[in-house]
Amino acid sequence: MSDFYKINIVTHDIYRLHDTSGDKYHPEKPGRITSVVEHLKKGMLSTNLNFIEANCPEREWILKIHNNNYLLRFEEACLAGKEYLAHPDNRISYNSFEAAFYSCGSGLTSIDYVEKQTDGVFFCLSRPPGHHSETSLALGFCFINNVAVAAKYWQEKYNRERIFVLDFDAHHGNGIQASFEEDPSVFYASIHEHPTFSFPGTGYADDNGSGKGIGATLNIPLKPGSGDKQVLEIMDTTIYDALERFKPDAIIVAAGFDAHIDDDMSGLAFSTRLYGEIGMRLFVMAKKFCDGRIISILEGGYNINALCNSIETYLAGISIKTGE
Amino acid sequence: MYISEYMTKDPLKINPDLTISQAREILDSKHFRHLPVVDDNGRLLGIITDRDIRSAYPSSLAPDEERKRTLEQTTITPVGSIMSRVLSTLSPDATLDDALLFFRKHIVGAIPITDKENKLVGIFSIRDMIKAYSNIFGLGEKGSQLIAVEDDLDKKNIMSLIVRVLESNNISFTRIMRTGSRIYIRAQSYNIKSIKAALESEGLNLIERKVDV
Ligand SMILES: [Zn+2]
Repeated sequence: MSDFYKINIVTHDIYRLHDTSGDKYHPEKPGRITSVVEHLKKGMLSTNLNFIEANCPEREWILKIHNNNYLLRFEEACLAGKEYLAHPDNRISYNSFEAAFYSCGSGLTSIDYVEKQTDGVFFCLSRPPGHHSETSLALGFCFINNVAVAAKYWQEKYNRERIFVLDFDAHHGNGIQASFEEDPSVFYASIHEHPTFSFPGTGYADDNGSGKGIGATLNIPLKPGSGDKQVLEIMDTTIYDALERFKPDAIIVAAGFDAHIDDDMSGLAFSTRLYGEIGMRLFVMAKKFCDGRIISILEGGYNINALCNSIETYLAGISIKTGE
Repeated sequence: MYISEYMTKDPLKINPDLTISQAREILDSKHFRHLPVVDDNGRLLGIITDRDIRSAYPSSLAPDEERKRTLEQTTITPVGSIMSRVLSTLSPDATLDDALLFFRKHIVGAIPITDKENKLVGIFSIRDMIKAYSNIFGLGEKGSQLIAVEDDLDKKNIMSLIVRVLESNNISFTRIMRTGSRIYIRAQSYNIKSIKAALESEGLNLIERKVDV
């Protein structure tokens, strides 16, 4: 029997009120959270779980990344009963604005706990996701860039100057990249399906930041059909080296699970097991490079079954006690 | 599809009696590879490239005496005497295909664009060509993905069927390309489930990327 560290799941009931069911094929639905909760409670990690309620973040933190007019427009659209924001992909309902705030709050809440030296690992089980949204742009089911806001928060509230973001969602996190393109203090590394094929069509290997931020953006596009072999090699070489060179004070993982072979939202073919392997490596690297300061924030993952199993396996990987 | 959208309009141009060394200064300071040469009425006479200029300068292996003489020459010789006379140009309403064919035929880095009176109105370089095609293929355009559908010659009007399905389902798209056995759609949406459902309901087959390494 393996032994695991405490697994803190930061989540909130309001996430289920962000209702996208007006489009019957909309993949970003409340069941993504509720099913995972149920699955984890029944599974092998059940005795290690500790559920924490996400706090609502102060607006000032969200304004570090987003434009106030954009937030007002978003709120107004929800209250006015609009069906979507900017593009039919971004379905909204009456409570979406509030849900998006609390979704962002999950990251900040986790950071507070990490900084209070709380035991265990932290996973933000939140929605709507964030990594496609930009300053004044809702895109790809995302409204508020949870990871980008968390990076700013960690830097400015706790003086953790150097933040490393690893994004293993199947899609390029254009919003995170745009937020820190010129900022050498936040390193954005993304492993995603090649932009020639995949949404959102950004994240070419050639993009490596701009201005002072050159070298602090690392895009690793994968050919459709790529899977475990390619990713493990990248984790052990490219990502390890980038972390070693960057010397982060903290790591934020944009943890999306839509690269799973059973998830039809991407052309990648990751196995469930791969997420466990990634988790184990991240645990070791966070220990080695930044005193274990790491949080993970959910991004995509749309095949409910694959999502449940992948998150569970990832959590097992990142929390397993390796005889030390 | 017209080169006028992508060319450099009203480009920097020089007079044929400028000296070689003056032309060199301009090329170097602006990091240009070529300069069009025009007469007093703005009519195109020729084009001078960084290569033409370089070959007017002495070789570093030449004896001192000869070097000195050749260097002196560059300060008095007009560019008009060493420029390439331009025999072919394109007009602003030439298309990108015309430009592509031009580059395939002539070994040049840029095409002078002239109007009916042979007045220079622009210059279209290979770099402009790359920009134009990146634009047309939507390179780096945010918010889209490429959907591949199996082509089916037995299906009548498959192209119009695709367009109709996309439009009636409010799925915006910017390009449809037919290449051999596949039809590629650049769809402006993340919601592949809706796209799939719409296309499949009309009997169209999407090609899964996962198995398509
Ligand atoms: Zn994704």
